[in-house]
Amino acid sequence: MLLPILSFGPMLMAIISFIVGRYSKKTRNILVISTTVAAFVGCLFLWPINTTFTIKDFCGVGLSMGVDGFRSLYALIASFMWMMTALFSPEYFAHYHNRNRYYFFYLMTLGATLGVFLSDDLFTTLIFFEIMSLTSYTWVAHEENPRAMKAAGTYLTVAVIGGMTTLMGLFMLYNELGTLSFAGLSAVLKEGNPSTTIVVAAWLTLFGFAAKAGLFPLHIWLPQAHPVAPAPASALLSGILTKSGVFGLLVVTTRIIPANKGFANALLVFAVITMFTGALLALFSVDLKRTLACSSMSQIGFITVGISFMMLLDEEGSLAAYGSILHMVNHSLIKLCLFMCAGVVYMNLHKLNLNDIKGFGRNKPVLHIAFLLGALSIGCIPPIGSGYNSKSLIHEGILEYIELLKESGQGYGIYKFIEILFLISGGLTIAYMTKLYICLFFDKAKETTTHGNRKYINVLSSAAILTSAVILPALGLLGKALMTPLAERSMSFLNLEILEHEIHYFSTENLIGAAESIAIGLLIYILIVRPLMTRKTEEGLVYLDLWPSWLDFEKIVYTNKFVMTAVPTVITALVRFIGELPETIVYTLKKTVFKKLSHKKAIPVGNRFTYGFGLFLNSIASGINKASRGRTHLRTDNEFVLAAVSKELINGTNLIGRSVSFGLLLLCAGLYATCIYLLFFR
Amino acid sequence: MNLLLLIPILLPLAGGICSISLKPLAKEKARTAFVLTMLIASACSLLPVLLNPELSLKLFTLSDSLPVVLKNDPVGKFFAVLIAVVWTLAGAYSFEYMAHEGHLNRFYCFYLCTMGVLFALCFSATIITYYMFYEMMSLMSVPLVMHTMKKDAVAAGVKFLIYSVVGASLVLLGIFLISPYVSGFAFSSEGVLNYTVINGHETRVLIACLLMLVGFGTKAGMFPLHGWLPTAHPAAPSPASAVLSGIITKTGVLGVIRVVFFFIGAGFIRGTWVQYTFICLTLFTVLMGSLLAFREKVLKKRLAYSSVSQVSYVLFGIATLTPFGLIGAFLHIIAHSLIKDTLFMSAGAIIEKTGKTKVFELRGIGKQMPIVMWCFTLTSVGLIGIPPCLGFVSKWYLAQGALDMNSISTVFNYLGPAILLISALLTAGYLLPISIKGFFPGTSNSENESSGENEFPNCEPTYVMLVPMIILTALSILIGMFPGQIIGFISNFMIGR
Repeated sequence: MLLPILSFGPMLMAIISFIVGRYSKKTRNILVISTTVAAFVGCLFLWPINTTFTIKDFCGVGLSMGVDGFRSLYALIASFMWMMTALFSPEYFAHYHNRNRYYFFYLMTLGATLGVFLSDDLFTTLIFFEIMSLTSYTWVAHEENPRAMKAAGTYLTVAVIGGMTTLMGLFMLYNELGTLSFAGLSAVLKEGNPSTTIVVAAWLTLFGFAAKAGLFPLHIWLPQAHPVAPAPASALLSGILTKSGVFGLLVVTTRIIPANKGFANALLVFAVITMFTGALLALFSVDLKRTLACSSMSQIGFITVGISFMMLLDEEGSLAAYGSILHMVNHSLIKLCLFMCAGVVYMNLHKLNLNDIKGFGRNKPVLHIAFLLGALSIGCIPPIGSGYNSKSLIHEGILEYIELLKESGQGYGIYKFIEILFLISGGLTIAYMTKLYICLFFDKAKETTTHGNRKYINVLSSAAILTSAVILPALGLLGKALMTPLAERSMSFLNLEILEHEIHYFSTENLIGAAESIAIGLLIYILIVRPLMTRKTEEGLVYLDLWPSWLDFEKIVYTNKFVMTAVPTVITALVRFIGELPETIVYTLKKTVFKKLSHKKAIPVGNRFTYGFGLFLNSIASGINKASRGRTHLRTDNEFVLAAVSKELINGTNLIGRSVSFGLLLLCAGLYATCIYLLFFR
Repeated sequence: MNLLLLIPILLPLAGGICSISLKPLAKEKARTAFVLTMLIASACSLLPVLLNPELSLKLFTLSDSLPVVLKNDPVGKFFAVLIAVVWTLAGAYSFEYMAHEGHLNRFYCFYLCTMGVLFALCFSATIITYYMFYEMMSLMSVPLVMHTMKKDAVAAGVKFLIYSVVGASLVLLGIFLISPYVSGFAFSSEGVLNYTVINGHETRVLIACLLMLVGFGTKAGMFPLHGWLPTAHPAAPSPASAVLSGIITKTGVLGVIRVVFFFIGAGFIRGTWVQYTFICLTLFTVLMGSLLAFREKVLKKRLAYSSVSQVSYVLFGIATLTPFGLIGAFLHIIAHSLIKDTLFMSAGAIIEKTGKTKVFELRGIGKQMPIVMWCFTLTSVGLIGIPPCLGFVSKWYLAQGALDMNSISTVFNYLGPAILLISALLTAGYLLPISIKGFFPGTSNSENESSGENEFPNCEPTYVMLVPMIILTALSILIGMFPGQIIGFISNFMIGR
């Protein structure tokens, strides 16, 4: 009974707090915080439970929720993140408009997200997933400026298209198998060669989840949405909403096509691209939140690399699976901390550009500690960085697969290359975090940035930030005691065995890997970032904006003018032509057969063809006008012109037809025809 | 007992005649009270008909072999309930909307009469009876379309009439063609074809069948005779366009159901070229309607094109001839009726209170009339098919039906769901921007606080308008979440066809 309360309760509270908020802001804030705390406590109660809950016939197929080790873990993390951001929100939103709306959708999304993580079949996952996508839209659009609206538009488009594609996948799966429950899927779909339908269905299902996770090439919403959303919302978007996509990814990879090599290799390609380009873009960015957003993308890439190797390694995949799961957990917590730090900067300065905010963190211990712990974690610096533990496990997984290929005598060059990219990406992570850290806490502040002795953060917010920051070194230092159990309890969800031998997080091999990454990172910072991406002026160091905006993937591929305007225009014109053909016939009849005999104005009236073709030309012309954004002005009414031409033609032919010479001409032609017939065919 | 069937038909007819002929009803208050009472009374008078398992009444015979018979079978009951709910709520909504229009007695006369004829249509037990009431309904609803008597309204009314008559005559032609091969005209669950006579004349019967499908498809807005919808809706007053789209188009659907499952029999059509033609027509209409709606600037016209597309979802579900497809079709009938009514009512509220008809004028409308726009948004989300709304459930069943179909190639199986989803995407494309622009108007260029307050004055309509919309919205979501009962009801009488 706890399961539906956890997902529907917050939705109910959303409505109540919305109504309350119209009368008292303070009561509303208390209500929201207590709801998130209650959700957190509820998720704590789920920790030891293994249960399911179903509502028959909900939405036709039935809602079924369930909880096991992994799902209770993720529900707990989700509710924890909501609780922390709820504590942080009152101060951050103090000067915002539309807070009531924000809190309404904030709680709605909490319920939906818990629903996703507590679902027991893909149908339920999809229901909550779609609700979550729609309600979180309002976070991105919250500021309502053009930039936010554009980002929100992209977010919604990706979410709707992704949701529909996943729905198509589920149609096919359900039709083929008759079940969508996690247990049922693993029972029906054993390893081996799945049929084409299943593979196609798996890719389609994956699509929507990958879009939410921010996997290349569906990542386009991520770098746009995070910078414009309010900081608590970006923390949730990056920390937990992307993980709901990864959750779907896990379901697809372990239930629908378990251990399928071809699928895993294809997924690996996307994962590696995401991992590397995300880190590279983060290095180029000079916007605090955009850097963090690109970093999220890159970290999702790391996680997906882990998942791919889990699939490739099949039964020995436990190590890679440990790494992926733990990296998910780490990334959620790290991004919670870092985005809240960015929120502190933004709520004081209302700026995010590195040149405007540099030096803000001087003499601010709370911010400094929190940011440093987060940066160490995401940079995977042992022994404090918790990210180190999980990333080393993924790294070990890669090495394990390479060993496996070596033993069986197969080529492994490509995987070696991936390992190198993996380490370089780790290095890039360190480089961009160093850049941010030095900029915020060591560079000399501008005069406008110096903040005097004004209070920059209140007690509630600093408590939230410090709590989320302190967890990270605890996880890092106590890997054996804290992280291994978390990973072990997740294995049953992935249908994998728990590792029997103990995991040595600080083995020499892992430490060497980390050292390589750190060395690469520092080299990149010293050799590339410092000399090439900054310039010294009288005001101190200036960070150059090298963001490759001309390389905007969205503009090049998705909103390409040709693809997005010309193709739909032509299709619409064609469809309209066919669709209005009956109408055209009626119109033509009206204008020809039932035409009044005397008409005052000599408006040329065309026939069916000129009307139809004219319409077709008109829509093309309007399409061209739109495509060129006002550079061309094709205003001529083609229908009119064609009608006039056709009338002239008809008049002309009538005249010719009536003339004597035309008659003679016809006579001659007839004679010729007769001659030819007599000569050749008789 | 059998006379009970006549009450829901005659009561609104009588009410309609009273409302135009009785002098005291010319006053606004008296008329409103009277019409509301009549609507509710007629809806209530359905109850005994619904509760009785089997009622059948022979009214008279047109010739010695053409009886006019009424009967309350489950399909009829299903449609009757839908009509009663939607018609009554739209009527309640109309009191405020129509307050500034003239000739209200005439409007309500035809409004009530159409309701009676619609009930008769639901309970028709032979194809001849159906045809008769179908024509009567077309005639009765024309005054609703051309109510304002402006030039464009009259033109739209005439167009509506012409399309209706052309469609109905196609149906009649079909009946003529098929009449030698049937054993009677009464609907029966196996169809009434006389297979011994048909042997060797299948093509003729199939052609007749297609004619009847296209004929009834006219009312349902199916290509090639969909043209009346986008013209009639913007011209008609909003309550009329709401029922036009929500209910009148469904009579065409009911006709198709009667022809396919009760007159000819699904077994005869399954796997023939008629089925494939029908599927192609419906799918093309789905796509065409969405594309045209996507490009349309006038709100009501956009909704009309959307109706063209959405009603064809229903027809597609029927065309699959599978149990799942049928369940999907029936669910989508409910979904589209409730949702499109709400959408048209919102559009009407916007026109009534702000006078805006174009989509791009609606910036900030959500701030002006929040409740109306909430209803609009929730129902559009339902129409797109985002869970847990009803549109999602119906789409789920439609897709399952399409995939279940035994067809000549698997292309057909996947084409259906793919087009449904592309159309859903387009639906999102033409409905969501309205809500987004409405609720997120953006910060105005002038930072002036005082002008900022006046920019979006509150112009929420009164509860007379709001309550029907809220009820319909709530129904569309609640039925979507718990459709079990309805699915059970539908599968009871439809499974195995």
